[in-house]
Amino acid sequence: MTGPDTSDRVENAASPVIPTGPSVLLVEDDVKIAQEVAEELESRNFRVRHETSGSAGLEVGLAHDFDVMIVDRMLPELDGLSLIETLRERQVRAPVLVLSALSAVDDRVSGLKAGGDDYLTKPFAMEELAARLEALLRRPTNSRETMLRAGPLTMDLIERTVTRNGERIDLLPREFRLLEYLMRRPDQVLTRNMLLEDVWNYRFIPQTNLVDVHIGKLRRKVDENGGPSLIQSIRGAGFMLRVSK
Amino acid sequence: MFLNELFRTATFRLTLAVVAAMIGSAAFQFFLGYSQATVFEARRSDTLLYREAALLQTESQEDLERKVRDRATDDLRVIMNVTTLFDHDHLYIVGDLHDWPEGLVADGHVHEISLQNTDHSPGSPGVLRMLAVSVRGGRFLVLGRSWHMRSELRLMMRHSLLVSIVPTVLFALMTGIVLSHRALARVKDMHEAIDRIMEGDLHERLPAGRQRDDLQRLAGSVNRMLDRLERLMDEIRDVGNDIAHDLRTPLTRVRARLDRARSAGHSAEALRNVIARAIDDLDQSFAVITALLRIGEIENGRRRVGFGTVDLDGLATDIIDLYEPIAESKGIVLRHTPGHGVMQVLGDRDLLIEVLANLVDNAMKFTPEGGHVTIRTYEDADGVSLQVEDTGIGIPPQERKAVTGRFYRSDKSRHVPGSGLGLSLVLAIVQLHNAVLRIGAARRDPDLPGAVFTICFVAASHALPPPDEAA
Repeated sequence: MTGPDTSDRVENAASPVIPTGPSVLLVEDDVKIAQEVAEELESRNFRVRHETSGSAGLEVGLAHDFDVMIVDRMLPELDGLSLIETLRERQVRAPVLVLSALSAVDDRVSGLKAGGDDYLTKPFAMEELAARLEALLRRPTNSRETMLRAGPLTMDLIERTVTRNGERIDLLPREFRLLEYLMRRPDQVLTRNMLLEDVWNYRFIPQTNLVDVHIGKLRRKVDENGGPSLIQSIRGAGFMLRVSK
Repeated sequence: MFLNELFRTATFRLTLAVVAAMIGSAAFQFFLGYSQATVFEARRSDTLLYREAALLQTESQEDLERKVRDRATDDLRVIMNVTTLFDHDHLYIVGDLHDWPEGLVADGHVHEISLQNTDHSPGSPGVLRMLAVSVRGGRFLVLGRSWHMRSELRLMMRHSLLVSIVPTVLFALMTGIVLSHRALARVKDMHEAIDRIMEGDLHERLPAGRQRDDLQRLAGSVNRMLDRLERLMDEIRDVGNDIAHDLRTPLTRVRARLDRARSAGHSAEALRNVIARAIDDLDQSFAVITALLRIGEIENGRRRVGFGTVDLDGLATDIIDLYEPIAESKGIVLRHTPGHGVMQVLGDRDLLIEVLANLVDNAMKFTPEGGHVTIRTYEDADGVSLQVEDTGIGIPPQERKAVTGRFYRSDKSRHVPGSGLGLSLVLAIVQLHNAVLRIGAARRDPDLPGAVFTICFVAASHALPPPDEAA
């Protein structure tokens, strides 16, 4: 499966190009939001199927195989969590991103407990949604690997060492953790919230640009002098460890 | 209409009940007195009859005849109303009664007999207590005393009952009407006041009245409730104004920016820049809304289910890990001074780390380069405390209470960006944990006194007894 190309945005959202990328089921009762989301995703080469009620979503979700699903928590007829639970009972394994207007951590926990794989609070940036969908589609495959390689970087997870072109780089434990997260997800847009949630395990958005400072510090250690940075900033979205040329 | 309303007042109904009880008890008392007097009078009368009968039984036949005749004509004592001698066939011999009274049995006991034909004697007693005994010569002596005392007693009692009860009842009813009229007037005043309050005049209060009674107490309670409501309404109105203001500022910027972008011919790059900044401003508005919703959620106390044991030093280590790079870049020394022993509290880890992050964030914002921010944990008699101390501009004592209010921003901090809700959120979380937030100055430096935020938890081991005992 090839992920949607998020680095080169399609300029015109109303482009007549028929999407050929991953299929996504969007269950959302607010038609206007759903339309925006669908157009955005289609411009990113997703094939979008939209349903407005929980029961319709369940029917379609059972009848077809989707690569990923986006389910709103509050839905008419059948609420989002029950929908996900039913799908999981019927052996539907596609990853699910839960959307919610509720921000409490409890709601997040219950969303994940019901079988959701990620949780996004409204309002959200389209980049955030796209990055998270991509993350769900490209879940780290083999976590048992002991050596990670990305471009000139090599990470030894047993020795806890990092080398660039064979040259040892000294990293603090938190920098090591951050780099490991990036190296497991090369060429993938990672938002600040994703980093905060996954690397530091924080569920709130700090007022200061903490993540940028951390990335900046890491960048100075891993980048070669003069060359372009390995960790690129994606405007309006987050960061990416660029490996492919 | 008015009477109908009057009747439905509690006071008037109470009056009616009291009146009914009064009548009942008076009637009962009079009945008791009457029946006691009757019994007593009957006993006295009967004793006389028996004694007289016994006396006359001992007389000889001639003496008895003579005495009976004398009695019938010129007896002045009038102990007996009837003294008559009959032969063994109940036929008249001598005396003032001509016929054997119907129903009288000659058994030597007193009977109550009523006589139909009462023409024979003056005074015409209707009912008599009579007794017939056999005397010498197979004759019968009939003695009788009038029983008019009983009806007289009854009459007297009825009179005095009426004489005493009627004015009492009338007086009670009048008092009841006056009282309930007054109560009605007060309730009417209260109704009018409530109507005015319902129409939106929240400054109105219920008239308490001069009497210290239940209505006054009720009015007092309602007025205190209205005071509290009014204060809350004012707060909500203030908060509403603040929200509107804090939302309007970024939205105004968005609007101006978009407006300008539409009118002039901009390059695609410039337009993209405008859009990015517009989104930033919108995000700031959303941050305010999200923070408000979160505070509301936390204040509603829905989250206590997620409580577990939290190690405060572990929390501090994590926060230092997160904030150290930014502290370095600002030239601030961020330190952690752990206390002796394990500093554990019962709480929600995610919320507590948010509290600590907010306090550290805040401390770094107001601390100049070269300053210190210290996270400290310690345990004392009050329990376990978590402290964040800085060497920044500090908070003047008069502002220390206000800083936790929503959107409060000190004059000194107007230039520092932020939602203005950070400390409100901190306070809401602290209160959810039944902890206390204290704000003080860190040192005696007039320019940079620094601020100390102390969150004092009742220690996990002290958590079982109620807080007042633990303190």
